Order: sequence, then structure tokens, then C-alpha cells
Amino acid sequence: MSPAGCSHVNAYKVDNWRQNLRVIYQCFVWSGSAEARRRKVLQNDVRWTALAKSCICHMCGAHLNRLHSCLSCVFFGCFTKKHIHEHAKNKRHNLAIDLLYGGIYCFVCQDYIYDKEMEQIAKEEQRKAWKLQGVGEKYSTWEPTKRELELLRHNPKRRKITTNCTIGLRGLINLGNTCFMNCIVQALTHTPLLRDFFLSDRHKCEMQSNSCLVCEMSQLFQEFYSGHRWPHIPFRLLHLVWTHARHLAGYEQQDAHEFLIAALDVLHRHCKGDTTRDDNGKKANNPNHCSCIIDQIFTGGLQSDVTCQVCHGVSTTIDPFWDISLDLPGSSTPFWPLSPGGDGSTVNGESHLSGATTLTDCLRRFTRPEHLGSSAKIKCGGCHSYQESTKQLTMKKLPIVACFHLKRFEHSAKLRRKITTYVSFPLELDMTPFIASSKESRMNGQYQQTVEVLNNDNKYSLFAVVNHQGTLESGHYTSFIRQHKDQWFKCDDAIITKASIKDVLDSEGYLLFYHKQFLEYE
Amino acid sequence: MKMEDMSLSGLDNTKLEALAQDIYSDLVEDACLGLCFEVHRAVKQGYFFLDDTDQESMKDFEIVDQPGVDIFGQVYNQWKNKECVCPNCNRSIAASRFAPHLEKCLGMGRNSSRIANRRIASSNNMNNKSESDQEDNDDVNDNDWSYGSEKKAKKRKSDKNPNSPRRSKSVKHKNGELSNSVNADPYKYNYNTGINYETLGPDELRSLLTTQCGVISEHTKKMCTRSQRCPQHTDEQRRAVRVFLLGPSASSLPDADTMVESDCYDASDGQVLMSRLQWDGSSDISPSDSASSKASTNNSDSKKPKKKKKTSLGLNSTGGGGGGSGSGGGSSSQSSLVGLSNRKKKPKLPVPPAPSIYDNLN
Repeated sequence: MSPAGCSHVNAYKVDNWRQNLRVIYQCFVWSGSAEARRRKVLQNDVRWTALAKSCICHMCGAHLNRLHSCLSCVFFGCFTKKHIHEHAKNKRHNLAIDLLYGGIYCFVCQDYIYDKEMEQIAKEEQRKAWKLQGVGEKYSTWEPTKRELELLRHNPKRRKITTNCTIGLRGLINLGNTCFMNCIVQALTHTPLLRDFFLSDRHKCEMQSNSCLVCEMSQLFQEFYSGHRWPHIPFRLLHLVWTHARHLAGYEQQDAHEFLIAALDVLHRHCKGDTTRDDNGKKANNPNHCSCIIDQIFTGGLQSDVTCQVCHGVSTTIDPFWDISLDLPGSSTPFWPLSPGGDGSTVNGESHLSGATTLTDCLRRFTRPEHLGSSAKIKCGGCHSYQESTKQLTMKKLPIVACFHLKRFEHSAKLRRKITTYVSFPLELDMTPFIASSKESRMNGQYQQTVEVLNNDNKYSLFAVVNHQGTLESGHYTSFIRQHKDQWFKCDDAIITKASIKDVLDSEGYLLFYHKQFLEYE
Repeated sequence: MKMEDMSLSGLDNTKLEALAQDIYSDLVEDACLGLCFEVHRAVKQGYFFLDDTDQESMKDFEIVDQPGVDIFGQVYNQWKNKECVCPNCNRSIAASRFAPHLEKCLGMGRNSSRIANRRIASSNNMNNKSESDQEDNDDVNDNDWSYGSEKKAKKRKSDKNPNSPRRSKSVKHKNGELSNSVNADPYKYNYNTGINYETLGPDELRSLLTTQCGVISEHTKKMCTRSQRCPQHTDEQRRAVRVFLLGPSASSLPDADTMVESDCYDASDGQVLMSRLQWDGSSDISPSDSASSKASTNNSDSKKPKKKKKTSLGLNSTGGGGGGSGSGGGSSSQSSLVGLSNRKKKPKLPVPPAPSIYDNLN
């Protein structure tokens, strides 16, 4: 019996009480639909049918006034007018249920009580009703267990992460040209889902040695939320990354994007212990369907459609991706026009003369249909010969965290330089025009605004920006990260300062991290 | 009022408004009731108080937004003295120098071969102890990289190849920093990682012993990972360790085969040199106990006249240097070493001392 329950329920918990309680919840409290309620009443039990035609007070006929149903017999009574109290006293039926919220009232204790088993039934029925209503799963907040409550009571010094709190922010010492690593660490530790995963201790390590990068990541989160003010020294992280990603090892300036991909790869490999198990208790060992936290958060699917120009047959492949690398204007490959066959100024309504290039422009270019040219003919399965074709990339599956990499470092045969063209990026981004289903409307390079304004699935918010100052040979990485909705901070190795949204949006931008705004349960 | 009796058609506006008002107030009341239930449950279950925090201490965590200080209210750039412990060698390193240290400590990256080359160059100078301390430290790093103190020797070698194109890339770092990093390392003592012979099987031991010195240090109980020409140990020691580890039948160093050649003493310089070198490898009087090495357990030093030491040192250092350098590690064959040193060192070596070595041969 839970501390909030009472002993008087024991008299009730006899015979088939669970089923009876379920029926009450199903029919009168959490009805999936009015029809369902009617149907259930009619089908399940004749007794109920006769008497439970409608939920009204048996004494005064009202249906409001906090109607309660007696648990022991078929009786409905108002609470406010005390009709149910009278019934309880007369019949010695001590328990009644509130039909609006499902709370159980005990007339002996004269209070609502919370019995664990009964609440369990109530919750299950509620979930079923939501499903019937089409609401789906609803978020339920965490509730502490008895033991946890005890612990919390003994430890009253609690930290609440309010909007004006530094907890969650921490500087990182530069270990010698490791600013690239520091920026990626800041971005990862401020990825909300990743933070929640590690702070709720979800990593179960199965590595024998203590060289698990995921464990180190977990430790990193503990450091960030410890409340310490001095900067953290991520030397163990560096050591582990160099051990597991040899191509990165070496004391020299490196690329933050390369580090991000390598880090995600190692984390993904070390996450084996956290993959979900199938019904037989065996681990899902399919490499294409890894369900580790890294894949759940960062992996998206990129669809590549190659269309034969002769028979118009389409061959489709879907590749997983962790980031999208975008070409920029100012590189040796021309940026404009976005679609083939047009001139430089305006093509199908797209004009690039007005203002700076935007991230959306880059994405449009990324997903444009591209003529592969006569020198790159593809073998067409329909025509059984080599034909010219167009290729188009679209997003088949959008990841929860989308990372955009602006290709600012040009390493072409002709030259090596940094492209400093300013690209403006938004705080909120809608990826709907770039997903695979919008592709049909863009087959000819026509860009149409989609009408789906109500679809929230593809809306993203910016939460981290990594910037590079300097030249190709030597430079410095800093990052902006978002905490508490609209507070931005600049992270320059060990120095964390407050930043304005304007600072963030005016910055050059090298790696842009966007997080989905609305998360659905699967 | 009973719901069945209602019909909206016969109502005028005021009544409709009143109805709407009723419905609205019912909805608000229900919502309030829901909130009441939530609070009631939280109090009764005992988790209502969880939101309370200690207000006083929360003040310490407020974000500071002032120029010159970070969000914690700390002044910039006061973190120069932070230190950390290297997971590889367990030494305390300044945090801002950790990356270059780790690179050398793990034996990867661009600098290891530079250090090795430096060492070869300076080891030709027959210098004092302090410099040789430096050399040995660098040597240790080379050996870490060549042999792999974590027994990942083969893996490291294959990884090294993909890295080498990287080395030829244009320099990404600031040049000033690079040269500083080489000089700034405070190696003050001889650090020998070595190999633990107890964990190796006989085959592994055998193959190891064909390429490296292998003498077991008294202090660390580990095998020396330097080349067979290692200046720190004598050939006698090397032979002893082979007997100890592999049994009496395996006492032969590769050089022992050339014992036969020592009988064929040839007058020409080249061949004198050649045979002497080969013979040196297996004699009791080892040329490896040169003055350039630090305190070692060589006791055969006392037998030799001083000038002999000089020549043998000259010989040995090239052999040792040859063994330590290059990406192939110590596995380069003896004959090529000899050949190399023959070409390079011949003009330097005075011929007259040569017969004196032979004089002492017994």
C-alpha cells in the first residue's frame, strides 16, 4: 500500500474488482469516444446497460456538480450536493470515483486517496482511451519512488536549472590547438536529447577496458552540470579520441567538422551496449538499423534519385548521413544558377541579386536536379544502355539534430583557400521543401512554396554555431551555443560569455546545428 | 436541466449567451479542479516540495554579464597553471601543453622521426652525459613508436603509413609553436618503457630478440627495446638474456655466425672494417660499452684500453643510430647497417687501433 493510499480499499479489493474497475474507467471516465462508451455499455454487461443509460445523478438528475460513481454498486451522485455522501453512508459503500478525473474518494478518510494498484489500472485505461481518440502517447512527468523521495528529503540542497543559472555551462581548456575539439564538445553537450540521455544515466557500458568514449562523454556531462566554475580539462577525451581515431592523432590544427564525424563514429561504435533488444531479448544486430542514441539523434537518410533522360526511369538509393555539406558561392564551382539551363541572373523566379546568400539558397542548390553530363552516363536499367541522366538529392529521413557544414575550406587542384562569403542562416528553419516528397514538384527545377503550413514535423531551431577565424593554415575555432530557449553564449575555449542573438546571426558560420522543434513518440 | 429536454432552436440571443456563459464557466471550473487534483496528489505522494531550492546558494550560480569577466564572474586568462596527468605515462603535464606531449608520448604524429633524426645527429658527437640523457629520452620515444610499448607494434606500423602522406601536407600549425614544443619538454630523467618479457610467448620473444637488444633492466624488470647495437648494454648481456629466455640453444645472436669470419683477417681497410664489425657483435669485449652511454652494468670496460673505446664508439654509434632511425625500425638487417657505416664512417676511423682489438682477441 502506498503512503498515499488507505486501508479501506482492502474491503473493495475482492473477487473481480480489477475488471469492474476497468469497466468503470472505460465507460464512464476515460471513454475513448461517445460511441465507444455506448457500445461498451451495451455489449459488456446487461446489468450495466439497464441502469447506466446516462451519467446523471440518481438523486437529482444533474450531470454536472462533480458527478461521482460508487465503486461497489451502480450509483451516480453529485459531490457538491453531497448526494454521493448520503449513498455512501446509507449503503456503507466507502469508495467512489470522480468521473471527470478518475480520482478515488474514500468516505472514511474523507479525502481522495491514491492506491498504487488502482492507479495502475487507471493509467492503462487512460492510455487506451487516448489511443482510440487519436491523441497517441502523452508525456508524463517523472515521479520519484519511495526510496528516491527519502534520499531527496535527506539532501535538501538542490540545484534548479532556472533561466539565469550557470549550471550546464563550463569552459574548456585548450590543450594545444584543440579549440576544434572544444567547440564540438560544447555543441554536443548542449544538444538537448543527448544531454537528457546522459544525465538520466542511460548508458550501460559493455566495454571491458575503460577506454569507452561514451563513458567519457557521460563523465563530461557530469562535469558540465557539476556547478564547478573553473574550466574543465578534457585531456582524457583527447587521449581516447586519438586512441580510437588514429587519423586524427597528432598535435596540429585540425578541422572541427572532421572531428565531429570521427567523434560521432566512435561514439556510435561504442554505444553497442545501449541498442534496444528485440522480443527475444537478443540485441538487434543489424548494422543498418542501429538504434543507439547517436543514430537516433543524428542519423538522417539522404535519397539520391537518378533519372534516365530517355525512359524517365528513376533509380533510387538512400544513404545515411550525419551532416550535410553545402557548397558556397565564391568557390571555384559556380553557385548560381541553381537549376541547369538558366542564365546567371534569374531562373524560374530565383534571383540571387538581392542580398546575401541564405542557408536556404544553399539547401536549394544541394537538392537541385543536376544534369550529369554526357561524360558521366549511367547504365539505365530500363533502357539497358548508357544514357544521360539527372541526379537529385533530397532528404528522405530528417534527423532530430541536423548539422550543416558550410564548405569554407577549398582544397581543389587549383587552389587552397578559405571562402569567407557571408551566408545568412535563420534561427528557425523549415525543411519541408527539401524532403523527398516535395521532390516531384521540383523535377524541372521549379521551386514551389509548399502549402503545408500546419505541418510541424520539419521545423528546426538553431542551437549551436561553430565559427572559424583565420586562414586555412592557422586559425581559431569558437562557438555559440544556446541554453534556456533564447539565451546564447559564446564559448571561446575557457571563456564563456553571454552573447546576443544578433552576434550569433551575424557570425560567419561554419557548422550549424539545428534541433527539431517537435518530437513525436514512435 | 436535463440534456434531453434542450433544443436550441427556440432560444433567443440572451438565452444562448447565458448558455454559452454556463458552458464556459463549467469548463473553467473543471480545469481548476484538475489543477487542484494535481497539487493534492503531489502533496499527498510527497513530491510537492521537490521544486524548492536553497535560495541563498542559488545566488552563486547566477549568470554574470559584465565586460572583462566571464559568466561566472571570473577574469579571463587566469588558467595558465592548470595541470593534468597523462593517461599514458602518468606524469603531470601542463594542460596547455598536453596535446604536444601526448603526441610524443604515444609516439604518433609528425615529430617522432624528427626527434629520432636529431638524436642520430647528436649521438655522433660523443658527448657528455646530459645530452645523451636527452638522446635516450628521444630514443625511448622512437622505440615506443617502433615497437609499441602496448604490444600494438604491428598495428602501429601499418597505421604509420596512412599517416605519412599527412606529413607531407602543408604545415597547418604555427611554426613557432612547433619548434618550441620540441625544446620545451621537460624530460629530466631517463624514462624507459621497455617490454615485459613475462607476458610474451617463446615465438614472440624469439622474433623480438632478433631485432632488439632485449636486456632485462634490473630496475624495471623489462626488456630493453633499443637496437642490437644499444649502447647501454653489452653483447654479453644480450647473449645472457637470450640464454635465459630462450634456452641455451638460442644463445646465438645473428652476429655469432660471423665468428668464423674473424679468422680471415684481411689487409684491406674495407674488409678489416667489415669483419671487425661483424666480429664485434659476438665477442666478449663488446664495442658497445662506449663512454657515451650512461652508467650501465658493463664490467668489461676495464679490460679495454682507452683508445679502443674511441674507435668502437665511433663504430657503435653509427650502428646504434642506424638501428634507431627510419620508419622500418630496428628490423633492418645487420649487413646493411654494416654497409652503411662502412661507407660513412670509414674515413673517420683510424686504422692503427684496429690491430689492437685483434691483439686482445682470445
